[in-house]
Amino acid sequence: MTDTQWPRYMVLHQERDDRPHPHAGTVHAPDAEMALLNARDVFVRRPDCVSLWVVRADLIFTRTQEELTLHPDWLESIQPRGDTAETYYVFAKLTQKGQFSHVGEVEAENLPHALKVALQKYPDTRGLAWWVFPVKTVLKSTPDDITAMFAPAAVKDFRDQANFHALSVLRKLMRKQEAE
Amino acid sequence: MNANLKQALTDYLVAMADDELILGHRNSEWCGHAPILEEDIAFANIALDEIGHAIVWYELAADLSGEDRDTYANRVVYFRDAPDYRNTQMVELPKGDWAFTMLRQYLFDQFEMVRLEKLTQSSYASLAEAAAKIRTEEIYHLRHTRAWVRRLGLGTDESHRRMQAALNDLWPYALALFEASTRETLLIQASYIPDISILKTAWQVQVTTYLQEAALTMPTNSSHAIPPRTHHTEHLGGLLSDLQQVARLDPMAKW
Repeated sequence: MTDTQWPRYMVLHQERDDRPHPHAGTVHAPDAEMALLNARDVFVRRPDCVSLWVVRADLIFTRTQEELTLHPDWLESIQPRGDTAETYYVFAKLTQKGQFSHVGEVEAENLPHALKVALQKYPDTRGLAWWVFPVKTVLKSTPDDITAMFAPAAVKDFRDQANFHALSVLRKLMRKQEAE
Repeated sequence: MNANLKQALTDYLVAMADDELILGHRNSEWCGHAPILEEDIAFANIALDEIGHAIVWYELAADLSGEDRDTYANRVVYFRDAPDYRNTQMVELPKGDWAFTMLRQYLFDQFEMVRLEKLTQSSYASLAEAAAKIRTEEIYHLRHTRAWVRRLGLGTDESHRRMQAALNDLWPYALALFEASTRETLLIQASYIPDISILKTAWQVQVTTYLQEAALTMPTNSSHAIPPRTHHTEHLGGLLSDLQQVARLDPMAKW
């Protein structure tokens, strides 16, 4: 059976200018622009966002630390071939419960090579799992998008569940029923 | 502001609010039924935004006519009957398929965008202020609906066929957005609102260019005249009975 699902995009979101872009979650979309729009609607319901990045999940090269430990030969077999280098983002999952977070960037020739360079460049980062993907594959919102994409959420307090009193109303009704 | 002018501006605001309310409600019917989960959330957001914009306009109308702005919107929304609504017929039509819904929202968003740009220069300060605020959200709506229109127009044979059918159906209704009431002349003279014929030219250039880029053919026979905002299709009654049902069960209920 053919898969009729749209491709998955990883969503990376930045809460403040001086913060990195950790992983927020995943959206399905037919292309990057739609993924960026979907990401806004799914993950920016609260105003703590100034920038969104999306990248197709199948363009991300990933290895767990366990895989790297079990197959040390694989890492050793990766050697630069003299191809043109480009910049790759490096993300790592640092705790079991945590999301992937942005570690930095490396210059490399291809995806496996990028991971190898990352492990050398960031020896103190104890990643449980790693992601690398080319910077050029990421679609980013721009500072011009803030006004229309992110700022309106700040005044939409009706989306905040604290403003919905259904639960307390229900409790009140139940207490009343019990009393009767 | 003299009484005539005040009445004309109140009517104008209520008509804008009614458009946003009815379209927002129609859009909300997709909640739980949109093609994919992500779009379900996105389109529900847009529906809520439109209803939020309606409230802004109703509140301005309340201020103008000396009504209580906290209760006015609920009263006119829940306790007016269909003949008293002043929305244009396009927004009350059933939601149709996804192509129809998206194209209607696009045509309306683009209309709002050209109107809001002019309204930000209104000499009635609170109208200009509200327009500027609402405009920021409409920039996003338009980006969203433009994205869909393009992809459906250029997508599969099926999506293109549905988009063209929706365009043929919607076009005369969309043109009716630009039917001005006679009293609007007063408002234009006072620089409260823009001349709608100028808006129409700008809108038509933008949508025609964009829809043609999406491989759609502009309908040529726009002779099918849509009645003014005082007349409604049978669909509005059904929508309102849904919308007003709970409020009318117990008009004195406190929420």
